[in-house]
Amino acid sequence: MSSEAVVIEKLTKMFPNPGGAGEFAVIESLNLQIRRGTFASIVGPSGCGKSTLLNIIAGIETHDAGTLRIIPQEGAASTARIGYVFQSPRLLNWLTVEDNIKFALEAQNIEKALWNQRVKKYLDMVGLGGQERNYPLKLSGGMQQRVAISRALAIEPDILLMDEPFSHLDEITARKMRVDLMHILEHAQPTILFVTHSLREAVFLSEDVYMMSVKPARIFKQVRVDIPRPRHPEDSRLFDLEKDLVKEFFAVLELSQQ
Amino acid sequence: MKLRRPDIVPGLLSLIGLLLLWKAVSLYFLPSFLPSPALLLERVATIFGQSSTYLVMAKTMERVLAGLVLSMLIGAAIGLAMGLRRSVGSFLDSWIMVLLTFPAISWAFISILWFGLSDIAPIFTIVLIVFPYVTMNVWEGTKAMDKELTDMATVFRANRFLLLRKVLIPQLMPYLFSSLRISFALSWKIALVSEAFGASRGVGKELMYWFQGIRADMMLAWGVSFMILMVLIDAIVLRRWEKQVFSWRRAPVA
Repeated sequence: MSSEAVVIEKLTKMFPNPGGAGEFAVIESLNLQIRRGTFASIVGPSGCGKSTLLNIIAGIETHDAGTLRIIPQEGAASTARIGYVFQSPRLLNWLTVEDNIKFALEAQNIEKALWNQRVKKYLDMVGLGGQERNYPLKLSGGMQQRVAISRALAIEPDILLMDEPFSHLDEITARKMRVDLMHILEHAQPTILFVTHSLREAVFLSEDVYMMSVKPARIFKQVRVDIPRPRHPEDSRLFDLEKDLVKEFFAVLELSQQ
Repeated sequence: MKLRRPDIVPGLLSLIGLLLLWKAVSLYFLPSFLPSPALLLERVATIFGQSSTYLVMAKTMERVLAGLVLSMLIGAAIGLAMGLRRSVGSFLDSWIMVLLTFPAISWAFISILWFGLSDIAPIFTIVLIVFPYVTMNVWEGTKAMDKELTDMATVFRANRFLLLRKVLIPQLMPYLFSSLRISFALSWKIALVSEAFGASRGVGKELMYWFQGIRADMMLAWGVSFMILMVLIDAIVLRRWEKQVFSWRRAPVA
């Protein structure tokens, strides 16, 4: 079994120049390897191309050069399963919570006999057992995002992409969701690529933190967070690490602005 | 309930005023030219009292339903195709506009020339007039669809059929329902016109019969009778159905 879940080599993505001729590279020659079963975060300022990178991995955007491989777990179907948790829940509001999850299972051609068991397992995991028959609009924003998380987990993805999934929530809810996510990961061990602009969030959640520069987007530093789980949000080691990384970030940003 | 009460008063006053005015004017004319409100009510009661009425109305309803269902199917399919494929949209856009602009009454006569006295003429007329409205409405709906949901479905690898069934069509439901109710109102009015000239039986035929007998009272009575039936169907069947389909939208319980 390969120890890598995602391997990206020299990936380049061009965008047309705003209001002018020609193109510029949003992402240039980006390399990234994500170890299977780990939680990796990409941290970068807004507009650096983080979401674009996730969309390329998810297959809803194309890239212009380089290679991208998602390696399915051994014995799994030959095409890799990709789970995605977006900034907003993106639920189908006309379907019940249960049917929203089944939508993903059906899309992934997962055997029908497994559906009910998967729904129950992953709804329980996000703390929404009993909400199967409810409609999304009757749930709070945080609960809707939990449904989106359980939808993504239910397909048991080879890679779970998360694009600032807590950024639309109020800070108190977001904080609880981060802690809960950490607990969820004790039960399921998917490979996660998490994108955020918050170093604190990245450091708290991840095993690997990749720091990304702007225009073009490149990984300029990789940090292994060796603090064992479950972690406490107020752990001073997390704060210290965050402080060091912030300093480094500013140094790089200033350099790129000169 | 408290808020509704003051709203009823002006409505009631205008209704009473209209009935009084109608009654006053009717005194100057023959009852067969302009019946009084009470006489009209009596005529309506007579119409509903005859068993043959129900056969006549059933015949018209049959044509209305056939025309309506066909218009919705054809209109929705074309509107969806136009929305999902830009090329289909620009290809058909002007044709739909031509159909929308073409005088509706012409279709009523042309289809009688083409199909003679049969069920096909009124149904054909309804479809040609109504489906372009459905198409425009559904096409409008496809423009309001959420691209983010389509992306979500793509990421989870939903095939086209699943995408259509669970993501796209549900987003069109508000447009389909508004189309349905407008189409229903249009369809039965068109059916009457078409039947007046090209059917051996039907509410439209009754109108023509009493027109030839110079009996405005009976024409009004038939018009009102069928209208009552149509309003009931709209209120009982269509609105309830709509409410049920959109139950997921109801305000969240805090």
